[in-house]
Amino acid sequence: MAAGALALAACTALPPSLPEDPARELSAVPFFPQTIHQCGPAALATVLGWSGVAVTPEALAPQVYIPGREGSLAVELAAAARRAGRVPWVLAPDFTALQAELAADTPVLVLQDLGLAGWQAWHFAVVIGFDAGREFVVLRSGTERRRIERWHRFEASWERGGRWALVTLPPGRLPASLPPAEVVRQLEEARGVVPAGAPAATYAAALARWPSDPTVLFAAANDAYGSGSPDVAEARYRQLLALEPTAVAARNNLANLLLDRGCADAARAEAARALADLGQDPDHHGRYRAAIEDTFARASAAPPRGCRPW
Amino acid sequence: MALRRALAALTTACFLSLGFQSASAGMIGTPEFLSGTQRAAQLDQVQAALARADVQQALVSLGVDPAAAGARVANLSDAELARVAGQLDSLPAGGDSLLAVIGIVFVVLLILEITGVTDIFKKL
Repeated sequence: MAAGALALAACTALPPSLPEDPARELSAVPFFPQTIHQCGPAALATVLGWSGVAVTPEALAPQVYIPGREGSLAVELAAAARRAGRVPWVLAPDFTALQAELAADTPVLVLQDLGLAGWQAWHFAVVIGFDAGREFVVLRSGTERRRIERWHRFEASWERGGRWALVTLPPGRLPASLPPAEVVRQLEEARGVVPAGAPAATYAAALARWPSDPTVLFAAANDAYGSGSPDVAEARYRQLLALEPTAVAARNNLANLLLDRGCADAARAEAARALADLGQDPDHHGRYRAAIEDTFARASAAPPRGCRPW
Repeated sequence: MALRRALAALTTACFLSLGFQSASAGMIGTPEFLSGTQRAAQLDQVQAALARADVQQALVSLGVDPAAAGARVANLSDAELARVAGQLDSLPAGGDSLLAVIGIVFVVLLILEITGVTDIFKKL
């Protein structure tokens, strides 16, 4: 079987031969040969299939194909991935990111321009591997199960496609290549359209990977508060403040939680401390002033009752 | 029709933002922490509601089933909508395989042949 695949590759691709290398090629990624104009649904079905969603290109076409454009838009592939219960992540536009995802066994959906001499031919394909010398990439592309492209040719076509690259992951699984702030940004931008439960699962995974990242801690605390777990939120704000005492946004939110459980004195002290820290850095934190002053005013007006546990 | 949809989306956006504020007065949200002010975030919501109606209408005019267009835009984030609104005609739409490219090359050759610029096919 391997010999047959090899012979086929030798017939259809430029490089003379490139043996399947399980170490660098995700051979288990499914293959859906595309029909005319349907590379978007085919590529999406490929990455979704890998992530555990059994779906055909035919079922995805009504969600992503635009007849008047004879093709699909990148953002609509992301939207359809969400409908299938997966979280789409856009990678940084560099080959290092692509390799990091492949190294973590994740196939990468890419946009290429396969046109010639000014004729544009936008095409979606899935990168599933590269060779040891990094001269070739292996793709599921069009009607080819195992298309081998020279790296510099692939890069030129990918460059013209804006170096757009996407992975689709089950909720709670983090993309290997994205830094924590980017994970938080993409997750918050898609809040409300990602599958229910995806934010909480993603933050749990992000805290496990980056236990002391301030952005992750703050966003994870807010997420816990927003989903009805103020006790978890309070612990996360405190953890962040232990690492970064001048994190005024976290201190303000902690003050609000203290107020929620009746600790008026403690809430006022935290709000006052946040205002004092804010004063030292007016440019950077000026936008928080109204919120913190509001917190301080409510804490000052609250009746002095005892603290309740959550 | 489009106006009514836009208004409905706007009303939804306003209710959503009000709901968030009353539930968490004084709290600093993650979007504010990441960038910009609360006011900017609210303006974005208004723009996103308009963009959603705009993109939905553009999809229908490009031949997408009107019944499916609503569900399609429902899964786009506000940021994605802002990026694509007004550009559905020009954004890269992946669809062609290499076969199509070969087709294009063939058509170009054919045109050149017909117009007399080249003389490839007679010699074949």
